[in-house]
Amino acid sequence: MRRRLGWLVLLLAVPALAQDDVILRAMQDELQRSRGLRAVNPEQPYYIEYALHDGESVSGSATLGALLRSHRVRYRLPRIQVRVGDYSFDNTNYIRSDYYSGTRYDVEQFPLDASYAVLRQHLWLATDTAYKAAVEAYSRKRAALKNVTLSEQWPDFAKAAPLERLESIHPNIPDQAAWLARLRRLSAAFLDYPAVMASVVDFEFNQGALYLATSEGTRIRTPESTNMVRARTSAQAPDGMLLRDAIVFQSLDPLRLPLEAELERGLRQVGENLTALSKAPAGEAYSGPVLFEGIAGAQLLAEVLGRNLAVPRRPVTPPGVSFPFPSSELEGRLGVRILPEWMDVVDDPTQKEWRGRPLFGYYTVDLEGVMPRPLALVEKGVLKNFLLTRQPVKGFETSNGHARLPGNFGAKAAGFGNLFVRAAETVTIPELKKKLIDLCRERNKPYGIIVRKMDFPSSASYDEARRMLAGMSQSGASQRPVSLPILVYRVYADGREELVRGLRFRGLTARSLKDILAASEETQVFDFLDNTAPFALMDGGAFVSETSIVAPSILVDDLELEKSQEELPKPPIVPPPALKN
Amino acid sequence: MFARTALLAGCVSLGLAQTPPLVEILSGELDRNLRILKEKADPAPYYLAYEVTESEFSAVSATLGALKSSRSERGRRLDITIRVGSPKLDNYHRMPGESVRFTAGVALAIEDSPAAIQRRLWIETDRVYRLAAERLIKVRANRQMKVAEEDASDDFTQEAPAVYSEAVGRLSFPVEEGAAPVRKWSAAFAEYPRVLTSQATLAAQRETRYFVDSEGARIQHGRGYASISLFARTKAADGMDLASSESFEAEEVAGLPKDEIVLGAVGRVSSDVSAMLRAPLVEPFVGPAILSGRAAAVLFHEIFGHRIEGHRQKDETEGQTFAKSVGTPVLPEFLSVVFDPTRREYQGVSLNGFYKYDDEGVKARPVTVVDKGILKTFLMSRSPIRGFNHSNGHGRRAPGFEVVSRQSNLLVESSQKVTEARLREMLIAEIKRQNKPYGLYFQQVTGGFTSTSRRGIEAFKVIPIVVYRVYPDGRPDELVRGADIVGTPLASFSKILATSDRAEVFNGYCGAESGSIPVAAVSPAILVSEIEIQKKEKSQDRPPYLPAPTTGAAQ
Repeated sequence: MRRRLGWLVLLLAVPALAQDDVILRAMQDELQRSRGLRAVNPEQPYYIEYALHDGESVSGSATLGALLRSHRVRYRLPRIQVRVGDYSFDNTNYIRSDYYSGTRYDVEQFPLDASYAVLRQHLWLATDTAYKAAVEAYSRKRAALKNVTLSEQWPDFAKAAPLERLESIHPNIPDQAAWLARLRRLSAAFLDYPAVMASVVDFEFNQGALYLATSEGTRIRTPESTNMVRARTSAQAPDGMLLRDAIVFQSLDPLRLPLEAELERGLRQVGENLTALSKAPAGEAYSGPVLFEGIAGAQLLAEVLGRNLAVPRRPVTPPGVSFPFPSSELEGRLGVRILPEWMDVVDDPTQKEWRGRPLFGYYTVDLEGVMPRPLALVEKGVLKNFLLTRQPVKGFETSNGHARLPGNFGAKAAGFGNLFVRAAETVTIPELKKKLIDLCRERNKPYGIIVRKMDFPSSASYDEARRMLAGMSQSGASQRPVSLPILVYRVYADGREELVRGLRFRGLTARSLKDILAASEETQVFDFLDNTAPFALMDGGAFVSETSIVAPSILVDDLELEKSQEELPKPPIVPPPALKN
Repeated sequence: MFARTALLAGCVSLGLAQTPPLVEILSGELDRNLRILKEKADPAPYYLAYEVTESEFSAVSATLGALKSSRSERGRRLDITIRVGSPKLDNYHRMPGESVRFTAGVALAIEDSPAAIQRRLWIETDRVYRLAAERLIKVRANRQMKVAEEDASDDFTQEAPAVYSEAVGRLSFPVEEGAAPVRKWSAAFAEYPRVLTSQATLAAQRETRYFVDSEGARIQHGRGYASISLFARTKAADGMDLASSESFEAEEVAGLPKDEIVLGAVGRVSSDVSAMLRAPLVEPFVGPAILSGRAAAVLFHEIFGHRIEGHRQKDETEGQTFAKSVGTPVLPEFLSVVFDPTRREYQGVSLNGFYKYDDEGVKARPVTVVDKGILKTFLMSRSPIRGFNHSNGHGRRAPGFEVVSRQSNLLVESSQKVTEARLREMLIAEIKRQNKPYGLYFQQVTGGFTSTSRRGIEAFKVIPIVVYRVYPDGRPDELVRGADIVGTPLASFSKILATSDRAEVFNGYCGAESGSIPVAAVSPAILVSEIEIQKKEKSQDRPPYLPAPTTGAAQ
């Protein structure tokens, strides 16, 4: 309630009215007129949603001190949805909900000029197309269900209270030329690392606003801002094994990106990592306890726990049609212990900062116009809740404000904002390492394993990601693929560490987290851009959601590692050209 | 229009005494890689080429007076050709039904930094070499198992290496300056309420190609492209999607037409689309017709041009319509067809298919493919075919694709020319002679497609946009909608009776195995004794349920 008061005060201070905003006014007026669609066809629309991502994107990339490309674009990307039927049964959640056989008018992009008349014209044509598509999907879905009985049925769309929330937008795109110059300097750092075969440093600043208006009366204008600097590198070990490392810096506010010296330190660390990896011995299969230290703990929990907290709903499918569907490993485990009883998990997108450090997963309203609140997901190790959108799932009828990405079959995809993984019983990181060594000694293992960095989000190319997925599915014990560990160390009884390369996890799933043996008191914040691709593959989706996870280092028992590359490509025949002339 | 003087700077061609810096870097790394590969690699490469395509592109588009998109980009892409084996048999050897792709068109630094460029060349050369070596092994194995090929010619021609360099300036077209005229043109569509969607686009591009190979070619050349394109679309009550478009091309933005001319085209495009809404549907028809110069140009590009591309004569999965027709008549004897990439313009209109060197570094030249109806030669890349052991400068590609023989500027020349008025009289006489109720006049067509494969039906299809029925009794011409031209290629050629005395230019982009490349076709209007049309497949969904919003401000 206090929070609610907070934004009411804000509204009073800035008397923003939807009527004053040309985009929202055009949306509102065309929504009003679209009521006329109720008269034209027996299948009536019961819900219309207009969303417009309005913004500007500035980007550039460079390698070894020279620019590869620079780009600047203004965009207005609409997402128009019409639902026919009613909340309990409509055109969505059906395998062909997104399919339309008819004419699509040229309205995939909306005009950049603030022309009320042209916005109305685009909304009109986009609504007509979305309505016809909805009617087509609705009748096909009903036909498909003629011969199928669903064992369980939930409504297709959750009710939500309309929300009016107009935030002021202050785009603050950094100077492109200055950043291109910085990019040249930063990318030149890799001239000092001859072991790095290929390196690309890039930046992308996207700033603008999300506009949302629905026939239920919701009116939203909220800032959208993603700013990122990134380096991706690859190398080849003497035996031909391909190696990769990457680093990403991101911020909601471009002014809070690290300074150039800190960026360069990060890049050089990547250069050091790859140089060390290319000299490291290849790892061997391993079975036993693994310590995920520093960001690796946060990365593992983000991927294996965080991403499984969203439960996509399987769409209605015509009889006899099989369809691979990525379900959540935590589906059906509500009320079950999934972590040690001394661990809690809360998602809190309303937090802007944590211990003075900005959090990347802060947002005020989700893609469906629902405001998130702090959400207890796991209490004392027991799963209590899921990340929810307005698509009802088993046991949950309403959204908790986590519609973060456009999804499939007419629904939005859920994702977390700022995920806090908390441990009530903790030890220090050196003590964790000691525990690991002790365990190995007890079990007569020559060494234990520490992971300090995961390839998550993955910097793999599409081709490589495809090979990784194929390899993991052949490896037998894996259900859902898990990113490769990048920095893997053997730790011997005397505490000595040795970097190894070329390993992947086998059969690491959400269930493995039940066996977390211990967690550190030190926590790590890990920011990343999530999407709907496996491994949150960088550039793996047209839409991204900004997320943070705050988590301890964790010691997990009974994990398996195996070699990740069976066939190794040969190293180049010709020696590399000199980096410095 | 807008500040033209500012846009004039740019493509200044002059011979350069010094090797351009990028060519220098490319040739240094080429020599180093080839030397070491020749020493250490098995099978060893005998040929290596680097081609870099540098492109700067800006485009602005608007609809109904509102800016819709505005973008600029600049980039370089690298294509590598490695040949292993020998010119007699190498990794590019054609195997039936198999297309090869070694190059990937990877991004290259846009600044001439040796370290950045050399590294990328080195990695890419290794990647392409491995694919090339692997394919050669397959080719050799395949030759031992299969029957001898019909065409036993070599895999690579001998050509004299070219050295040429011209400075191609940077693109000087600030997109902001394009916004005002594009808004103005697009706003003119608002006067036609029956048009559902419309757009005006102004685009400018500058492309520089750098080519070095192990035979000593050292080339830097390029050109500009600029265009205005306009389209309008609507939907008939029966669901049929209707569209019309026009475009203007020049090498520079400054060479594009003035506002009055563009606005005139907006009016034509819009009124054509509006009129089509009321036009009757075509009935399937076989009979005489006139194709306007632009329509005939497309027809020639599709039904003729694609069939005289050299590599198709060698591929045994191809139809090889003309493979054995050299020296025999393939067109009426009053027609000749020349491909001339050295031709920059035709009567003041820039030609899209103009270039100085092809993508194998071979100098462009005019090629008379058909002389007075007799087939003389094919369009050749450096892939030889029986009887033709040299390239004639038609090896082309888009970045990221392998070169094959492609068209340039197709020019149809006629010795049986009559005025357009006379051509129309001849059409009416032909309608009467054939006792048909009417003939057809194809005023506008848009690109088509053609299938040259043996597997598919060897047919072609061009998409007419504006078609009239011409009645022999003096009634006014009647616009019809929903026509597709269909037919089989060889039959169509023999039915050309006469041509007009005024040629028109069709500029476009042609997509095939080696990607989308700029081409042009120039032809006079033609009278054919027989053409076949069918009903176009049409959309089943109805026009928008609600009328357009009346906001009182739709201009």
